[in-house]
Amino acid sequence: MTPLLELQDLGVTYRTAGGEVEAVRGVDLALEPGETVGIAGESGSGKSTVVASVLRLLPKSAKVTGRVLLDGEDVGAMRWGRLRAARWSEASVVFQGAMHALNPVRRVGKQIAEPLRLHTGASAAEAEARVHELLAQVDLSAAKAKAYPHELSGGQKQRVMIAMALACAPQLVIADEPTTALDVIVQAQVLDLLGRLVEERGIGLVFITHDLSVLAATCSRIAVMYQGLIVETGNAKEVITAPRHEHTKALAAAFPEVGDPVSRYAPATAEPLPEEGERDPQSPVLLSARELRVHFRDRAGSAVAAVGGVDLDVRRDEIVALVGQSGSGKTTLARTLLGLQKPTAGGVYYDGGPVPTSASGLRDYRRRVQLVLQDPNSALNPRHTVYESVAEGPRIHGLDADEPGTVVAALEAAELRPAEQYLTRLPHELSGGQRQRVVIAGALALNPSVLVADEPVASLDASVRGEILGLLLRLRRQLGLAGLVITHDLGLAWNIADRVAVMYRGELVEVGPVEQVLLEPRHDYTRALLAAMPSPEPDDVWPAG
Amino acid sequence: MTTSPTEQHAADPDERRSGTSTVRYVAGKVGGALVSLVFVVALGFFLFRMIPGDPLVTMTRERPTGPEQLAHLRERLGLDQPVWQQFLDYVGGLVQGDFGTSYMHRRPVAEMIAERVAPTLLLVGTATVLAVLLGLWLGVRAAWRRGGMFDRTQTGIALALWSMPQFWLGLLLLIATQGVFPSRGMTSVDPPDGFALQALDVGWHLTLPCLTLLLVIYAQYMLVMRSSLLEEMGADYLRTARAKGLRDDLVRRRHAVPNALLPTMTLIFLQFGMVVSGTVTVEAVFSWPGLGLLTYESLRGPDLPVLQGVFVILAGSVIVMNLVADLLYRVVDPRVRAS
Amino acid sequence: MSAPVWARRRAAAVQAWREFRTNTGGLLGAAFIALLVVFSLLAPLLIDQDGLNVVTATGSPLEPPSGAYWLGTDESGRSVLLLTLWGARVSLLVGFAATLLSVVVGTLVGVVSAHFGGWISAVLMRITDFFLVLPALVLAAVLMAVLPKSMWTVIMAIGVTSWPTTARLVRAQTLSVESRPYIERSKALGGGHTHIIGKHVLPSVLPLVFANTTLVVGGSIIAESTLAFLGMSGPEISWGSMLDRANQSGAVTAGAWWYLLPPGVAIVLVVLSFTLVGRALETVLNPRLKGDR
Repeated sequence: MTPLLELQDLGVTYRTAGGEVEAVRGVDLALEPGETVGIAGESGSGKSTVVASVLRLLPKSAKVTGRVLLDGEDVGAMRWGRLRAARWSEASVVFQGAMHALNPVRRVGKQIAEPLRLHTGASAAEAEARVHELLAQVDLSAAKAKAYPHELSGGQKQRVMIAMALACAPQLVIADEPTTALDVIVQAQVLDLLGRLVEERGIGLVFITHDLSVLAATCSRIAVMYQGLIVETGNAKEVITAPRHEHTKALAAAFPEVGDPVSRYAPATAEPLPEEGERDPQSPVLLSARELRVHFRDRAGSAVAAVGGVDLDVRRDEIVALVGQSGSGKTTLARTLLGLQKPTAGGVYYDGGPVPTSASGLRDYRRRVQLVLQDPNSALNPRHTVYESVAEGPRIHGLDADEPGTVVAALEAAELRPAEQYLTRLPHELSGGQRQRVVIAGALALNPSVLVADEPVASLDASVRGEILGLLLRLRRQLGLAGLVITHDLGLAWNIADRVAVMYRGELVEVGPVEQVLLEPRHDYTRALLAAMPSPEPDDVWPAG
Repeated sequence: MTTSPTEQHAADPDERRSGTSTVRYVAGKVGGALVSLVFVVALGFFLFRMIPGDPLVTMTRERPTGPEQLAHLRERLGLDQPVWQQFLDYVGGLVQGDFGTSYMHRRPVAEMIAERVAPTLLLVGTATVLAVLLGLWLGVRAAWRRGGMFDRTQTGIALALWSMPQFWLGLLLLIATQGVFPSRGMTSVDPPDGFALQALDVGWHLTLPCLTLLLVIYAQYMLVMRSSLLEEMGADYLRTARAKGLRDDLVRRRHAVPNALLPTMTLIFLQFGMVVSGTVTVEAVFSWPGLGLLTYESLRGPDLPVLQGVFVILAGSVIVMNLVADLLYRVVDPRVRAS
Repeated sequence: MSAPVWARRRAAAVQAWREFRTNTGGLLGAAFIALLVVFSLLAPLLIDQDGLNVVTATGSPLEPPSGAYWLGTDESGRSVLLLTLWGARVSLLVGFAATLLSVVVGTLVGVVSAHFGGWISAVLMRITDFFLVLPALVLAAVLMAVLPKSMWTVIMAIGVTSWPTTARLVRAQTLSVESRPYIERSKALGGGHTHIIGKHVLPSVLPLVFANTTLVVGGSIIAESTLAFLGMSGPEISWGSMLDRANQSGAVTAGAWWYLLPPGVAIVLVVLSFTLVGRALETVLNPRLKGDR
């Protein structure tokens, strides 16, 4: 049997101003009909370049070596007309970021129908009927055909992309990070949908993602890419349970299993964690919210409760994980705790007293409670050196006694060693993990007692994730620094947190010790979140073919 | 499979919102335009009270006038009233279509403006339509083959035209085509008989002023269209369209151009003020009997009541054009409808 | 610690210059402007001002170009070449001064309205929009008509009518900077309004303002000439007032191209130079336009 897709010694080189960059090197891969193959890798590993080369969608600056065989036919040797005919009717793509991959000013029904009319010559009426059929297959009502992309939620847009990919009934579908921007629950639904379609129609699926746990639940074989090379390939179960390559190990460790005692208080970090010292179970409450409410006005002018009556305590020497989906109000809660957002009702208390509202009082408060943001790429001013960024806080508060000493100490505490080597660097000269450390150092320079971290590892590569979480845990154990970590990732809570607060539609539905909440959840929503986590249990793999 | 709460949550507000927000949007835009119109009317009045000295001196400076005559004139023009009374009278007059009386021609300003509207509409309308067509077409071609020969020459020509004072271009065209086209007015001194011949006569006179105006404004449209298409060209949805197997020109026609056209349209309407400014100089150069020439004449006078009236009318029409653009944009761009 | 900071800024400036240098149009424009500015400053030393005086001019009216008058004479017998060279002084001065006024007002309004938001922003933007849509030339001309005619009124009239574009640009840029997480981080560190505007907003907005400024200078020079053509200018010799007099004295019907061409060509060259420099600066300073454009 001819493989559906075969990559033979594929290499892609980009010509850039700084010389030639090899994005993909010597990749060999084959996919049989009805099979699902996963390609795992971090950003920059070359996995998206592989996708683009299958349909020859690479920019002009790319040079391709080796061969791409689509059903035995060399894509590189196709004439333009043949290539256009093959695109979408033989292989289609579910692109990364459905928001941008759909034309914003055309109705989605039209966009789904477009390849149909082009490749099958269907009449307008036939195409419309087929669009409704496709929408039904991805669990969307026919009425959604009239919607524009911005009128749909993230999950719905992703379903539209999938419906579009299936339009011409191709034998091969390539899904490029199809669930990345989605919430856990929606992600589970999309994965379920893809799995069902593969099973029912026997199509070949190439699944590309940075999240190994997603592949575990979907693929029969996995190839791990790193710096343009495939470093490990094999049976999905074997790759995940017994990774051989260092990089695969790092990827696998980044998605711990909730309930696995090995990963409790043990994020994947190369440096050993300090021993847990004596802990006072009744250590004083530092930061708390009482009956906190924040209301916004929506476009129609009616009030929407982003935070609706929240009580929460953060004690000295403990890490609390605030867990919820996007839109649950967790970021608004964090901003309100920091005094960046005015509460509608209720109050925030620090060390027993209400947080002041005057400008100078608020400034003093902010020395005590510091913020770490999600995306370190944009959390640092691109024009400021590491030194300036870390010194910003002390300068604002007029702490000019030995500024260089403070900065170096903060960088050392954030494990950027030797600190002197980083002082004059600009953010773009640092890696994502290093940038996040600079952000943390900037907070530590003020010697705070609470760190509020909003999705601190969500936009970092998997291999860096464990290191940053390890740092947060180390800071608590060594300095007694309290942490409120906002996340959508239950694995993170399992890795480092002491207590967990689950937020749903502006309210805390369940608060308690990590083991209790995650292992014996009481609220339905917590159970739904836990159920939606892609399980690395190999029995859950879809039957192939 | 169960539908998650988030999914419903996200879908809900979209359906609820659309009805009420249309009213709010339209009301907001119309309200804004009304405020601007009130500003213009007030500005029209108070600007002309800034004149150092007595308007009567400016008005009568070429003719010796006796004190009784002056007093009479003052009373007739209402200049003996307190300022607020004058303002109320002025606003009351505007509402009834009374723009005052010309100092120089002793005729109602409204009448003088009314007879100048049609020629200006003819000139501006023709030039704008041609400029939009030419500018958009050239802009699309230049952007699609960015950096090529066509792009470089066309962008160069557009930049050169953009760097030119409009009246100078008009004067150059006049000198260059001396005698080929009529140099002044809208009709011959002795217009021919019959509608067709008369229309031809007007067209003959229209050629040069229209060409001048066209050359200056198409350049802007072209540059705007070019850059907004370039902006779209990196968009992900174009890659999706290519992946679907669409031919290159279909990708451009069906996906890229319609998207790029939307911001271009707003800019075209926003720059209507520029077109109006262009009209003043072009009409002045070619003595085209429109509102621009009237502005020019009243500036040269200065004939302040006429200038005041023309200012209010021109500024008002620009505000109305912008309102139309805002409302149209909402109809055309589905994204604006929701946000 | 300030030594490395300055070293880095110098390195950034050198880098920007290196990129600017690759843009031929921008480089030519910059060279031409520099030359013209130096010449305008030195003009009183180089030019015999008797030749500019109607009374002491030696030529006969509207003489075509000859060995004595390379670009012919005007209606009063003055050398057109001399007038054009001298006119650069007023045209450039008006261009620069009006731009300064417009950019200062525009930047202030833009930053303040974007940073503070709320009703301040609503009021400022209402006013900006109002001035943005008004036909600028007509408003400037009306201002000139009711105020005493002088070069300073011209500067004021152009400045007052051209700031809204800058305000819009600065506001958009400020909003985009302020939506970045590093501003949120700075607020969480305790930074107040002055800190955020001074340390984060202005440093990233000003380069773009600078690029925009060069475009505004070109626009102001055109506006000066257009106002002069409408009879709204001071008594000084500028390219605009030369064109106005040429038109008024019947140079067009007399076919006196030598009187019309030089000031107009001078305007086009200067404005084109500023435009090319502005576009080149934009590509160098605006990261979004960088790369494949």
